[in-house]
Amino acid sequence: MRKTDNFARRRRERLLVFFALSIFTILNLVPLLWALLTSLKDPADAFTIPPTLIFEPTLEYHRQVWLENDFVRFLMNSLIVSAGTVLISVPAGSLAAYALSRIPRRSAGPILSTLFTIRMFPHMLLAIPFFVMGSYLHMIDTYPLLILALVAINQPFTIWLMHGFFLEIPRDLDEAAAIDGCSSWQAFRIVILPLARPGMTVAALFSLLLSYNEFLFALVLTGVDTKTLPVAIASFGGEDITSWSLSAAGAIGIMLPIVVIMLLLQRHLVRGLTAGAVKG
Amino acid sequence: MAPLKIHHAIKSYGAVRILHGIDVEIDDGEFVVLVGPSGCGKSTLLRLIAGLEDMTEGDILIDGRVVTRLHPKDRDIAMVFQSYALYPHMSVAENMGFSLRMRQARKEEIDRKVREAAAILDLTPLLERYPRQLSGGQRQRVAMGRAIVRDPKVFLFDEPLSNLDAKLRVQMRSEIRELHKKLRTTTVYVTHDQIEAMTMADKIVVMRDGHVEQIGTPLDLYDDPANVFVAGFLGSPAMNLLEGRVSDHDPLAFQLMNGGTIRLPRALPVEAGRTVILGLRPEDIVLATGGTKARVQLVEPTGADVQVNFAVGGNTVTAVFHERLDLEEGSEVALGIPMEKLHIFNAETQQKLAS
Repeated sequence: MRKTDNFARRRRERLLVFFALSIFTILNLVPLLWALLTSLKDPADAFTIPPTLIFEPTLEYHRQVWLENDFVRFLMNSLIVSAGTVLISVPAGSLAAYALSRIPRRSAGPILSTLFTIRMFPHMLLAIPFFVMGSYLHMIDTYPLLILALVAINQPFTIWLMHGFFLEIPRDLDEAAAIDGCSSWQAFRIVILPLARPGMTVAALFSLLLSYNEFLFALVLTGVDTKTLPVAIASFGGEDITSWSLSAAGAIGIMLPIVVIMLLLQRHLVRGLTAGAVKG
Repeated sequence: MAPLKIHHAIKSYGAVRILHGIDVEIDDGEFVVLVGPSGCGKSTLLRLIAGLEDMTEGDILIDGRVVTRLHPKDRDIAMVFQSYALYPHMSVAENMGFSLRMRQARKEEIDRKVREAAAILDLTPLLERYPRQLSGGQRQRVAMGRAIVRDPKVFLFDEPLSNLDAKLRVQMRSEIRELHKKLRTTTVYVTHDQIEAMTMADKIVVMRDGHVEQIGTPLDLYDDPANVFVAGFLGSPAMNLLEGRVSDHDPLAFQLMNGGTIRLPRALPVEAGRTVILGLRPEDIVLATGGTKARVQLVEPTGADVQVNFAVGGNTVTAVFHERLDLEEGSEVALGIPMEKLHIFNAETQQKLAS
């Protein structure tokens, strides 16, 4: 009797969770669907109230965005900036996080808290000094400036994330490696790093998303040469309602590379590689 | 294989001193067990030998060479960790061959040595598996395999059996002993389990609070403990330790602090009125017709022998009998105390006075 009650309760709970998650998912997908539909509609259809659900879809605006508006170049800019950010941010952040995970907690704690404060700092306030420094160094509208700025705002998150992963890797492994003949660097590279790979994948993904979607710094620090996709899409705004279909098409287009990358990396996000390292 | 010498090892963390000047000499090929309660500094001492901690003062010599300031990789030691610390992303063979790989040994040599070690430890069928696919006992063996492929000068074991169940622990205990007999490598083995210490060691180092309490062979320490701590620590059930003093009127009566009197066959070599601690192993107590009056508190037959708790005044005295006695709980009996088996300790210094 009691068992049945438990079973029924668990099933109810599971249904509840399922509904909650479904609502959450739908809420998240509605704007996306709206953007997709807008990108396929003529602007006249896009702004009718109530929205028209039956219309003649057109790829015209997707064509315009990619072929007539230099989007390929902006995409390349975005990819260069994102790749640069990931390639600097993840290794640098991992090294820092590893060190922080292996020093006494009372020394690591203040450093981690400071990093957290930087993370909470309004980005707008950081964009201005970056702009001033960039002008001074004649680096405005260059890739390195935007990449370095994005690395800087991205580091706290990468370090916090990787710190958690490294803490989970038992220190006994570092010590076993040292006794087996590894220098500290070799122990990190040969033993610890392969175990931190799921963490690094997550860190890389988040750095990528942050830098690929970043708007504020890109707007302030880039110009004609290095303009990235989010800045380009924003420039379609304004009063001409035709550009709404264009920016919707751009927004859908900007998502596609990320979706592809997510699908490719998903497989590497498996946790639990350290299972079996210690204890019986 | 090499002798190992620890000279005046001091280790402090800030103001807290963990080891207070430890001196231990270990002969070539000897199996030495560091034993003591949690927090006595035994693991810290092992980590100093391994080079995983920096020494505050003192020196460590392996094979006559001072290694105190050397990186662990340059000390020519191998260590088996309590957690095994196997590399999860490497197969058993890769785990075992890792140290040779780091020393840039040739691939054929690594293969050969890994296969030899695997044969000794019955790991041959498991060489291609990963640690997560092994049982606790198998992981333990891989950890030992990783240590022996290298043929180091010293083996260090840090409580290697504490994660195994009781039966496997007994089995691994003898396997480690046999392995040592085969390889004759100098070994330092840390445990808090006094039975492991007694059964495995050539020499035991008993530690407490960062000091060495006594060093000796297992039986020397058992038969002739230097102080109350060693007396109480080694042996199961533990030695009975009874504080009291010789009666002013009767030199054969030892009055216990918590009430009750022990009747002695001969006078103790201490002056009347002086407080001392008497130590008596449970297996040395006999039932006698006359002697110390005791009441049977608890009878615990284990099959092989019978363990009985007696109340003598307010004290509990434990005895072990190899014959199956028919004792009724609550009944009164008389206990015989053989003088030659008695240990006498100074109650203040806790050090041994005489046997």
